[in-house]
Amino acid sequence: MGGARIGPTQYPQKGVITISAYFVRRLFQSILVIVGVSVVVFVITRAIGDPARMSLPLEATDEEVEAYAQRMGFRDPLIVQFWDWASKALRGDFGDSLWQRQPAMGLVLERLPATLQLCSTAIVLAVAASIPLGILAALRPGSWLDKLTTSISLVGVCIPDFWLGLMLILLFAVSIHLFFTSGYGTPRHLVLPAITLAARPWGRITQIVRSSMMDEMHRTYMMTARAKGLSEQKVIISHALKNASIPIVTLAAWELTRMLAGYTIVVETVFAWPGFGLLAMQAIEERDLTLIQADVFLVALIVVAMNIAIDFVYASLDPRVRLN
Amino acid sequence: MRVNIGRLIIAALLVSLLAAACGTPAPSAEPTTPPAAPEATTAPEPTTPPEEAPPMGPSGSIVIVIGNDPSTLDPQFSDDGNEHKINDNVYEHLLTRDPDSGEILPELAESWEQIDDTTWRFNLREGIEFHNGEPFNAEAVVFSAERIIDPDFNSEQISFVASIIGGEVIDDYTVDILTDGPDPTLPARMTWLKIVPPMYASEDADQFAQAPVGTGPYKFVEWVRGSHVTLEANEDYWGGAPSIGEVTFRPIEEAATRLAALQAGEVDVVTDLIPEYLAQVENSVAIHGLEFPWIRINTNVEPLNDVRVRQALNYAIDKEALAEALYGGYAAVAEGQILTPGHFGYNPDVVAYPYDPDMAMDLLEDAGASGATLEFVGESGRWLKDKELVEAIAAQLEAVGLNIEVNIVEWSDWLDLLFAGAEAAPQLQYSAHDNVLLDADRTLSALFTTEGSQAAYGNPTVDQLVLDARTETDVELREQMYHEAVETIREEAACIFLLNLDNIYGLSPNLQWTPRLDGRIFVKDMTLTG
Repeated sequence: MGGARIGPTQYPQKGVITISAYFVRRLFQSILVIVGVSVVVFVITRAIGDPARMSLPLEATDEEVEAYAQRMGFRDPLIVQFWDWASKALRGDFGDSLWQRQPAMGLVLERLPATLQLCSTAIVLAVAASIPLGILAALRPGSWLDKLTTSISLVGVCIPDFWLGLMLILLFAVSIHLFFTSGYGTPRHLVLPAITLAARPWGRITQIVRSSMMDEMHRTYMMTARAKGLSEQKVIISHALKNASIPIVTLAAWELTRMLAGYTIVVETVFAWPGFGLLAMQAIEERDLTLIQADVFLVALIVVAMNIAIDFVYASLDPRVRLN
Repeated sequence: MRVNIGRLIIAALLVSLLAAACGTPAPSAEPTTPPAAPEATTAPEPTTPPEEAPPMGPSGSIVIVIGNDPSTLDPQFSDDGNEHKINDNVYEHLLTRDPDSGEILPELAESWEQIDDTTWRFNLREGIEFHNGEPFNAEAVVFSAERIIDPDFNSEQISFVASIIGGEVIDDYTVDILTDGPDPTLPARMTWLKIVPPMYASEDADQFAQAPVGTGPYKFVEWVRGSHVTLEANEDYWGGAPSIGEVTFRPIEEAATRLAALQAGEVDVVTDLIPEYLAQVENSVAIHGLEFPWIRINTNVEPLNDVRVRQALNYAIDKEALAEALYGGYAAVAEGQILTPGHFGYNPDVVAYPYDPDMAMDLLEDAGASGATLEFVGESGRWLKDKELVEAIAAQLEAVGLNIEVNIVEWSDWLDLLFAGAEAAPQLQYSAHDNVLLDADRTLSALFTTEGSQAAYGNPTVDQLVLDARTETDVELREQMYHEAVETIREEAACIFLLNLDNIYGLSPNLQWTPRLDGRIFVKDMTLTG
């Protein structure tokens, strides 16, 4: 959580200025992160093997490979190649995909809606299913419901997503034709991949809801609230849950980031869901350097943007947090 | 102020989540041709019964699974199996092959003859139109040939048409194809060269690469990248309208998901099914394919420069056991050559080295190579059971007293080693070869001549035979040369001969289709039964 610092007695004096100064600094850090990621990906994709030989069919002759390499600039020093790429990227030109011969960033952006649809559905499912369960478990620590919640949330965290996806496919698409095995287009295509993607975040969020609620339940303000004569429901929802919401919201946002930045690749591949996660797999399979570069760039952008957003959410939920 | 900004962000986040979650799903990309595109549904209802085929006209729809999105839909550019599977139904060639024997038959050409060493004349069928109404004629053939060989176009398919230097219109329906020297494989090349409409193809390259227009039995409808490509029956097809009304090609990468999609009835044709899955598939068909796993031997280094050692390696391998254990019996023993009976040049008199470990040990002893240590390079994941095959072979070689150092390397390193040249080649290297042109030249020259791009074996006799055969236009004489070269390569044990893998297709229960030797998928050959 980068620059967020908790100080119980510090209150922001000059909110606007603090935020804009903070924002500028985070922006600067973000640019460094994106540049760093780009450099690493660029070097890795070009340092492993001969990119020209890897792009051409087995039958290509040495002359053909050399001609292709010259045309693509693969024989220039790496620093020159990176400079070419970066200076164009700054102007929004990420080069053409070697595989589909279309502007690479365009291909990635074309896939963005499908991934956003999948990941946002999954995080909504995960949050909606974890909050009631976590609260119920926290209300009766040690009860069978609490034990059950603890165990199945652990299963949710540990279960490999490709395995869960295949099991759901066999059960709900092959045995009973309730949903589709794969593909894109209708809510019936969306359900299984969304559940698969939601499992891990659901498990982790349930655990954090349970533990933060249990912490809050023992705070003295709860006693005060009850002593005031508030109903138990009001005490739990308005007081305990409100205070427990900071770690919950932070974790949920962080889980969404992790989905976009990684989990979605496996799930999209299993379900043939045409998002940018599947595109990343396809780009790697086709050894499409420019497409991999564009895909990773967009993911890096999303991650830093989400991180900044999380900080703001955090600060807005907890008046004790100062962004500096 | 601060709180307000925070709330705004939360509100925006929630709204976007809800909108994305509840919003109506939109296709990930605009269909490439808006007109008359049907609604972009990617799969039929799982339980949709096939429509009863009425006596007249195409009907029903099927879904064919491909491995990945096509790289392009320009039929002349890319060396990409996914593209070929789609465009084989949209475009046609002057010639085609008999599905079983591989014999060359007329398609868009009615007949053909060789005029002189470097000129082949084709008489074209009359009255055929491209899907956009452009006429199919001699001009279209010349345009197609010159387009694919244009150095600026830089086609990945160039090696399939390498000998062609141009074409000449004789009259509207007579055309000559010219080659740079005598090329007896020209008819085979013409089963590869797809004929494109000149006006449409030269108008807008980008449009042409996304919305193909051919003369074939199916017309292009739409391509939603990453999701599907849809074709519809061409009712005016010159060969008679096909039986199935609509075909959708869907990329599904994950093998287990393909199987599940077939079992759920969402798709009708799954290619490259792995043998383990066959028990779970109601309707499947298999045919000997074109793919041969093989092991390259570096014949320039000790002790492999001794023919006895190379023969011992061949005797030491139990090919039948490998076919059974690794491929569930869906593989045939390669008969001492990396060619199928469908390839021109296949030598029916040459047979595989039998499995004879005692003979292998005797030969190794004679050569003084018992207990020799050999490096064996393989890779993992590119071909079916590649790593398992390498490990099983290493075990069989160790059983005859050799010491095998298996080295499974990254794909890029594997490629570097394959093309490193004969001197730097590893002692043994696993590879796989398939020759879709069905003519021995491609295989023999690449793998077994001194200058071959993947060769680590050289023999002046074989070099000369392959070189002469390339320009020999007397068919029988040419076949004789290949027979001789194939026999020499087998006697010299120039590589370890292994297996010829089957192509296995899973089909929906109501789909009737016989797969082809050349692995092409022509939907016009398929029918749906009630």
